[in-house]
Amino acid sequence: MIEPLEVSLVVQCDAAHAFAVFTASTSLWWPVSHSVSRQPGLAVTFEPRTGGRIFERSPDGTEFDWGEITTWDPPKGLAYLWHLGVDRSLATEVRIEFVPLTADSTRVAITHSGWDRLGDLGPPRRDRNQRGWEGLLPHFVAACVRSAAQRGRDS
Amino acid sequence: MNALRQSGDPFDALGDPNRRAIVERLKARPQSVGDIAESLPISRPAVSRHLRLLKNAGLVADVADGTRRLYRLHPDGAEAMRDFVQSVWGQALTRYRLVAENTSTRARTRAR
Repeated sequence: MIEPLEVSLVVQCDAAHAFAVFTASTSLWWPVSHSVSRQPGLAVTFEPRTGGRIFERSPDGTEFDWGEITTWDPPKGLAYLWHLGVDRSLATEVRIEFVPLTADSTRVAITHSGWDRLGDLGPPRRDRNQRGWEGLLPHFVAACVRSAAQRGRDS
Repeated sequence: MNALRQSGDPFDALGDPNRRAIVERLKARPQSVGDIAESLPISRPAVSRHLRLLKNAGLVADVADGTRRLYRLHPDGAEAMRDFVQSVWGQALTRYRLVAENTSTRARTRAR
């Protein structure tokens, strides 16, 4: 099994603000380099409800889905499926908890899991990794073609 | 896991049509630089450069086969993606902290 990614940090603000900056001001801090259009000025939106979309809108108005919110529980936390750059069937899972430490400090704990799914596309157990990667590859290449074509059209 | 020695972006690595063509060929079977260059309209040095980039992204591995070197898809491609995403989170959260701490009402109140 590929271990989940676990990252946590303490920010000097209350949990409600930490939650709001994460979900409503994402465009201010998410690295443009890790997006589909990679265009400065792109906007990132978390639709604030369970079942809401997470998507990027490039300056020309094109939208690219990044994921789907599965738990929306402000200011305690949220969870979402994440498939930026890969096919939706290969989504990984992100869970974020905002734990109040004091009135103006909050621990933000992120667990990003589901990596085994990338190796789970029907391969026999014995050569799961190799076959899984080969199963993943066409989706990955297709996503890259789409984003490269998009960049070509925009330039 | 660190055997990947990954330093490149797998998305960028696959952003080039020649590199995607190389990956498609390696899917069929492991091949040498010469094998790949014969089936593509690019030079051997160009193939070597592309393979180096794919290797840095954790997508391709090389093995010795007698006197020559064979390239194949890396069996831990999924882990390469995980490791890449980990570096993205690191970069994102540094920026997130800056925004969160500099836009907080309490922080502004304290600063006065």
